[in-house]
Amino acid sequence: MVLVSAARDYINRMLQDISGMKVLILDSYTISIVSVVYSQSELLQKEVFLVELVESISMSRESMSHLKAVCFLRPISENIQHLRRQLASPRFGEYHLFFSNILKDTQIHILADSDEQEIVQQLQEFYADFVAVDPYHFTLNIQSNHTYMLPAVVDPSNWQHLCDRVVDGIAAVFLALKRRPIIRYQSKSDIAKRVAHETAKLMYQQESGLFDFRRTEVSPLLLVIDRRDDPVTPLLNQWTYQAMVHELIGIQDNKVDLRNMGKFSKDQQEVVLSSEQDSFFKSNMYENFGDIGMNIKHLVDEFQQISKSNQNIQTIEDMAKFVDNYPEYRQMHGNVSKHVTLVTEMSKIVEERKLMLVSQTEQELACNGGEVTAFEAVKNLLDNENLSEIDRLRLVMLYALRYEKEKPVNLMNLCNKLASQSAKYKPGLVQFLLKQAGVDKRSGDLFGNRDLLNIARNMARGLKGVENVYTQHQPFLFQTMENIVKGRLKDTEYPYVGNHFQQGRPQDVVIFIVGGTTYEESRSVALQNASNSGTRFILGGSVVLNSKRFLKDLEEAQRITRSSPSVI
Amino acid sequence: MATRNRTLIYKKYRDALKSVRVPSSSSPSSSSPSTSSGASGPVIELVSTSLLNPNRSYAPLSTEDPGNSSKGALTVGLPPAWVDVSEEIAANVQRARTKMAELTKAHAKALMPSFGDGKEDQRLIEGLTLEITNLIRKSEKQLQKLSAGGPSEDSNIRKNVQRSLATDLQNLSMELRKKQSTYLKRLRQQKDGQDGVDLEMNGSRSRMEDDDLDNMVFNEHQMAKLKKSEAFTVEREREIQQVVESVNELAQIMKDLSVLVIDQGTIVDRIDYNIQNVASTVEEGLKQLQKAERTQKKGGMVKCATVLIIMCFIMLVLLILKEIFL
Repeated sequence: MVLVSAARDYINRMLQDISGMKVLILDSYTISIVSVVYSQSELLQKEVFLVELVESISMSRESMSHLKAVCFLRPISENIQHLRRQLASPRFGEYHLFFSNILKDTQIHILADSDEQEIVQQLQEFYADFVAVDPYHFTLNIQSNHTYMLPAVVDPSNWQHLCDRVVDGIAAVFLALKRRPIIRYQSKSDIAKRVAHETAKLMYQQESGLFDFRRTEVSPLLLVIDRRDDPVTPLLNQWTYQAMVHELIGIQDNKVDLRNMGKFSKDQQEVVLSSEQDSFFKSNMYENFGDIGMNIKHLVDEFQQISKSNQNIQTIEDMAKFVDNYPEYRQMHGNVSKHVTLVTEMSKIVEERKLMLVSQTEQELACNGGEVTAFEAVKNLLDNENLSEIDRLRLVMLYALRYEKEKPVNLMNLCNKLASQSAKYKPGLVQFLLKQAGVDKRSGDLFGNRDLLNIARNMARGLKGVENVYTQHQPFLFQTMENIVKGRLKDTEYPYVGNHFQQGRPQDVVIFIVGGTTYEESRSVALQNASNSGTRFILGGSVVLNSKRFLKDLEEAQRITRSSPSVI
Repeated sequence: MATRNRTLIYKKYRDALKSVRVPSSSSPSSSSPSTSSGASGPVIELVSTSLLNPNRSYAPLSTEDPGNSSKGALTVGLPPAWVDVSEEIAANVQRARTKMAELTKAHAKALMPSFGDGKEDQRLIEGLTLEITNLIRKSEKQLQKLSAGGPSEDSNIRKNVQRSLATDLQNLSMELRKKQSTYLKRLRQQKDGQDGVDLEMNGSRSRMEDDDLDNMVFNEHQMAKLKKSEAFTVEREREIQQVVESVNELAQIMKDLSVLVIDQGTIVDRIDYNIQNVASTVEEGLKQLQKAERTQKKGGMVKCATVLIIMCFIMLVLLILKEIFL
């Protein structure tokens, strides 16, 4: 609840002291921030009768001076320019400005200069600069995410821009939680190091007054890691509800867009999957596909019973009861249709792409040993014509990540096979991935085959057998979290920034993955938090990845690297 | 939850920049870029002087004030007419709520066993219920008036205001019906209880009296009691019928209102979805208007009308000529 309630509190405070009819002005970033935590009907209760984007308010000539404008924007130069134009020829009676992050003095100057009619009543910084998709999971929806894979020299301005945005987002999270953390970062990643140092500079030097909160016994921990330390998790196909919907269809700001998937009725073309508003989703978002099917069947049976009793109206009392319960009935109907539609679509996709077959091999590549069987399996699947290109590519990539050193010849064969089969395959993509996230670049022991202890553990697990072949993979983040809880995170792999030091185990940990998180990892975090180990984890990333997005970032980075002269 | 208030700094900058801008305040909007670049130099000096001499910096402001207040008056405009309608509806809702509280008290009083006839209680309850139902019905009719045609920003606000008031009205009517149904139930229980008691009394009486001499007297007594309880039953029956009628009416209103109210948790309740829709409907509306304009212009109707008018003029001229020459 932590992140969602923090964002909601900010918005409540913005709206509570201003009486009368209001218009809420947002920009393209803050609209995501607000939409995931606040609903339209709640805005109506607070007398906000219009919501507009800052870029389009100047376009209309209508002057509505009986409305008070509440602006919630990110402090970027485009917004300041839009505001300048507005303040010069204002459309609304009063303006209350709230910015989602720290303003620069020059920006305040510019605004003060254009406010000749003195219509700005207040100017405040409310640090809700993150999209709280789940109670313990936030994202920053950064468009140019692929920049993290490039070295700084290739595109310095974009690289700096990405770092700045990440630092702003992390700072906002800690300001919302009112804590100042000790910072650790992944040693082998330049961008993680840069983000960690800049965040430390911001929190301890530049704005130390702002971050000077009440010190608790054990400081919280901020851990900045790089996506490339665990490239396996985004490539795998998922079988738990939320992760699966994102992987197969795509979730953006808790909305699922089904318009490309076929013909649906008007109210099922876009649906909302939010654990806050949908109790069925809340209890099923981390369950695997088989269990979901059963639970949906129960839900549908319940609903059918209720609708049957509704058809049986005989006395006036029955009628009154029906009308009483009608809103709930309608909501339940919508909810049931939504889940049934989603599961039907996903089953269709699983069937078309033969994902059961593919996923089995994927999981074995990710978890167990056995190079020979793996090679055979991948080769056979590549021969299978029904597989889509993205699935083929993923299989080869997983094989490459696992066995790049053991049998390079086999890997070469597979790559050649892949290139010959699909025309759209960009040659060298697999090699590019290995260059980015290969064994030499990773610091952690992703496959558990580096030190003896891990090998023994893997063998024990293999002997014990797994309950479900499709969900046997644990993201690497799980091990990292365990290490943090037990205080076993190595200093050499995850050094501290400056002279920070952690005594004892932290009680609050924010893990930020530069490059993006996945819903499988957020599930891991949620389950870890539910186990009450005394430490509360919050996960954040620059985007929320699925395999399509990860591959897109990879291709984009490869394209830029190829066309850039400054890379060897 | 940390926040930081920059209003003071902002106001300081604004005042400082305003005093620099005083000489060139004739065309504020066009000269803002020039004043900002021109003011960046002297701003620093002015800020320092204002810190040293706080009293001095207020002097130019006081002369600026009348100008400002006139500008200020422009910004506080009059709201459009439909806002009055919405305020009226809101006031009605408030009134209905207070009446509802009174109704609860009246219900409780009527259900308590009393010595009196209870007729005034009944009348009070009926009166209150009728008033509340009328208020809700009136508000609902006025609510329909709020819907506007044509895509414009104003229409979005109207739609949203409508939705919010519709939610309030729906909640109000649901509350009223719940209260009525509980009252009804308790009333029925009481009535059955009373009849049961009467019947019991009658039954025991008839069992106790076997004497023929006393039969006549007791039969009359019995008859009187029966008649009274019959009248009582009829009365209660009528009341229950009335309450049921108002329940049905409210059910109808609720159905109408539920079309206007947003379902929680669906896509329509999302702010970003509504903004996308607004943008697309406004564009659509513009396209439709343009198309309509074009078709109208091209339309054969215009041509026909012009031809007819020309013909009329020609005929008129011919008529006049005929009159002159004949």
